[in-house]
Amino acid sequence: MKIFSSLKSGFCHALKSWKGVLIVWFSLFILVLIFIYPLRSSLNSAFGRSMITEKLADGFDIEVFADLGPALKSLISFFTAGFMVVYLIGFAMNAFLTSGLFGSVRKKSGKFSSQEFFREGSKNFWSFLIILLIIAVIISFFSGIMIGVPMIIASLSENISEKSQYTTMFSAMVVLLLCLPVFFLVADYARAWKASHENDSCFRAIGFGFGQTFSKFWSSYIMIVLLIFSQIILGILILLILPAWKPVTGGGVFLLLIISQLSLFARLLLKTWRYASVTSMMEETTNIIPEYINIIQDEQRRSN
Amino acid sequence: MFQKTRLPVLLFCSVFVSHPLSAQIINKVPLSERTTVYKMDVQLDTDAKTLSGNMEAFWINRSTDTVPDIRMHLYMNAFRSNRTTFYKESGESPGEKDQDLGWIEIKSFRDKNGLDLIPKMEYISPDDGNREDKTVVRVLLPEATKPGDTVFVNIDFETKLPSRIRRTGYNDDYYFIAQWFPKFGVYEPAGMRFVTRGGWNCHQFHANSEFYSNHSVYDVTATLPANYVTGSGGKLISEAVNGEMKTQIFRAEDIVDFAWTAWPGYAEFKDKWNNVNITLLIPEDRNNQVERQFTAVKHALEYLTENVGPYPWPHLTFVDPPSIGSGSGGMEYTTLFTSESSYFMPAFIHDLERVSIHEFGHAYFMGILASNEFEEPWLDEGVNSFWTDRITDHYYGKNSGRINHPLLRVPEVTLTRLSYIMSPSRQAVSNAKYSWNYPHGTYGMMSYQKTATWLHTLTGIVSEETMNNIFREYYRKWAFKHPSGRDFVNVVNEVVKKEHGDRFGNDMNWFFDQTLYGSAVCDYKVSGIRNRKYQKPAGKTNSVDAVANEWPETDSLYTATAQLERIGDMMLPVDVLIHFTNGDEILENWDGKARYKDFTYTGYREIQWVKIDPEFRITMDVNYINNSITEEPKRAPLHRLINKILSFVQFFLSIMLL
Repeated sequence: MKIFSSLKSGFCHALKSWKGVLIVWFSLFILVLIFIYPLRSSLNSAFGRSMITEKLADGFDIEVFADLGPALKSLISFFTAGFMVVYLIGFAMNAFLTSGLFGSVRKKSGKFSSQEFFREGSKNFWSFLIILLIIAVIISFFSGIMIGVPMIIASLSENISEKSQYTTMFSAMVVLLLCLPVFFLVADYARAWKASHENDSCFRAIGFGFGQTFSKFWSSYIMIVLLIFSQIILGILILLILPAWKPVTGGGVFLLLIISQLSLFARLLLKTWRYASVTSMMEETTNIIPEYINIIQDEQRRSN
Repeated sequence: MFQKTRLPVLLFCSVFVSHPLSAQIINKVPLSERTTVYKMDVQLDTDAKTLSGNMEAFWINRSTDTVPDIRMHLYMNAFRSNRTTFYKESGESPGEKDQDLGWIEIKSFRDKNGLDLIPKMEYISPDDGNREDKTVVRVLLPEATKPGDTVFVNIDFETKLPSRIRRTGYNDDYYFIAQWFPKFGVYEPAGMRFVTRGGWNCHQFHANSEFYSNHSVYDVTATLPANYVTGSGGKLISEAVNGEMKTQIFRAEDIVDFAWTAWPGYAEFKDKWNNVNITLLIPEDRNNQVERQFTAVKHALEYLTENVGPYPWPHLTFVDPPSIGSGSGGMEYTTLFTSESSYFMPAFIHDLERVSIHEFGHAYFMGILASNEFEEPWLDEGVNSFWTDRITDHYYGKNSGRINHPLLRVPEVTLTRLSYIMSPSRQAVSNAKYSWNYPHGTYGMMSYQKTATWLHTLTGIVSEETMNNIFREYYRKWAFKHPSGRDFVNVVNEVVKKEHGDRFGNDMNWFFDQTLYGSAVCDYKVSGIRNRKYQKPAGKTNSVDAVANEWPETDSLYTATAQLERIGDMMLPVDVLIHFTNGDEILENWDGKARYKDFTYTGYREIQWVKIDPEFRITMDVNYINNSITEEPKRAPLHRLINKILSFVQFFLSIMLL
């Protein structure tokens, strides 16, 4: 029952924080736009008054871009470098914004306040950044072990059949996918705890994340899998609809942009639901917010 | 002494009549002249990784020359050290240990009467003078061979297979055995392939080169461990198991090379297309690809039979090597070829199909026509790539021959063109180079992709039907006769003249001079559109422009000009489509010779857009972007794509950033 009450509570808190989600979406939109807009201008300039872009009406056409010649190499370099920069900035920005979100989905947080959102963001920025980095390193290391070791064993074994090689790799991928939610849980619990304990170190928060994950493993795990599953369903819907939709008019393209951004907003909302549910689960199952409990007890006394 | 006779058929009978194989003839009528014949009896030693045995072979002097010597390829010596021409050119190494190396040793070399010819043997390096290269041997005949005579040789040899498979070799218990026996070069009399003087065409084994051989008959007896599954370019005539060993007898007719493979892990599948029995050898656990493999090969058989000529053998074997034998994948030996696949290959990517179609296609251009791949690699690889593109795009989608996914569709012909146009060395050299002389690593691009690209362009100029007729005639005229590039050009000239008269000039040499024998690039550009409005003159004028005198009050009169430019040095005829604001369209044909060209029209309309080569037929054009100009570019598809990139990056970040 803890699962459903946490999900329900988390959903309410996520909805309550929709403005925070909007801030996250807008920040992400601006960040990527700063990178995409020059790309768009470069492409517009490279194609000039050519009609070749009409070949894109039916979908991506590799020939259209290949004919850019040397300009294509510059564009690829720009895209690659820009993407890396955006990723790094996004990493830092995400630490700031999730800190704000975790702050706003706590029980004790009242009505959403953007001022409070940014205050929480700045307050826990470095801690969240370190938590993100550590969890990212752990996930990378674990993924490397999970995929790399079977791959090395398979490649060194001369007698193993191709089918067995692929089965081994596929099994390793499945195990990795099943393990990833555990790391998400650790990260989420650590951040939820840090949002409530601003004076404690981020390392302690990670320790709490691990402890909480494994002490309430099944309820936490099932809950996060359900939440991730909801994101996957949305992702599949988006993948089914958006790539196949090929408007060829300016209005259609603008509508596509709107729908894409709404989809992204929905995805961010689901992600916030995950943060809020994990926070709620933590708050329900631990006694880590004595002051909040005291308030409740005071209120109960008064009502009696 | 050498056994020489003016009656080669008698010799053939004398050599083979006592053999039980004499009754086993695959093709009732010989397809080729059968200038060389080989009969081999070898044993595969799976411990020593060697093949040893005996070869009886003969070469018939079909020229009018008196020939003082014979020349033979000893290809396997390319793997003898890193100082061979093969490894010097490739910059790689055959390996450090003795077991890694490959070589062929002539144990004895005698004529039919038993005369030892080893003292007459001399390793030569006709291409680069590399004394360390022992891939060509010359044997000076004590008595020169007169026209019509036959030279008979009896050779004991031992071949050690290399461990690093470069088309041939072994890995563990996998064997792909090619270029493994002493093989005659091709004696070319004056006039053949336009050579001015008769002589042996017997080149060294190069890193960037394939082969050239006479069409031959092969009788091969192979003894090997009984648990090995084998496949070859020949037909299995008999098999006898003796304890742990087995002896198989293969016969192949009218093919240019005999290769075979042995591996215990093969599963054998059989299928049939018309009268052709097809055998596929594939790793047992890769049987999920069997249907795709057979389908691809049957597509190729059907398409090439219809558009080029019949596949004349009743058998065909192809091999999908295991991963340990990947170095032997994607190679052709006429009635045997190797494909490439793996257990997991998404169905929307047609790499597997493309390789099988391509390697099968060599049966026509390397096998039947049998051009000289040393000296004119484009005539096999390029022509075959052209047909691979056509077959793949025909059967797997005009716009999706290589990749057919809702998010990405890529035709084969596009990838071929891109390989050419995106190469920084596309102008380094013409196609008329020996295969090992292409500079800047351009062998592949030049002989495969550039050739295929200009053949697609030729198709765009003369039409697909004419192109099919060209190849039908090329096949009819030159099958089993080793045509040269100039023979091909002559066929093109004949057929185009017959079908189009003088529409393209007296001949098509202008095309080949630029594409095959030249290195210029093709690039046409629409440099501008100019719509000049006439001022209505006051009163009646004596203007020579009658239209101007009669224009209605409501319409504006324009002189509209489409300005075209030839940027590249290549001059090809192109269509130009001009679209006017009132919806009119005019299709002009420009001979493409002038640097600058204007098409001017006077009327009550402005030019809205101009497209050079609107159907994208001139695939040699290295830049399609500048082939069109419009007053109102429609950027919506591009912006749609950019929006999708924007969303993709956003989603990616939102997923990756926990």
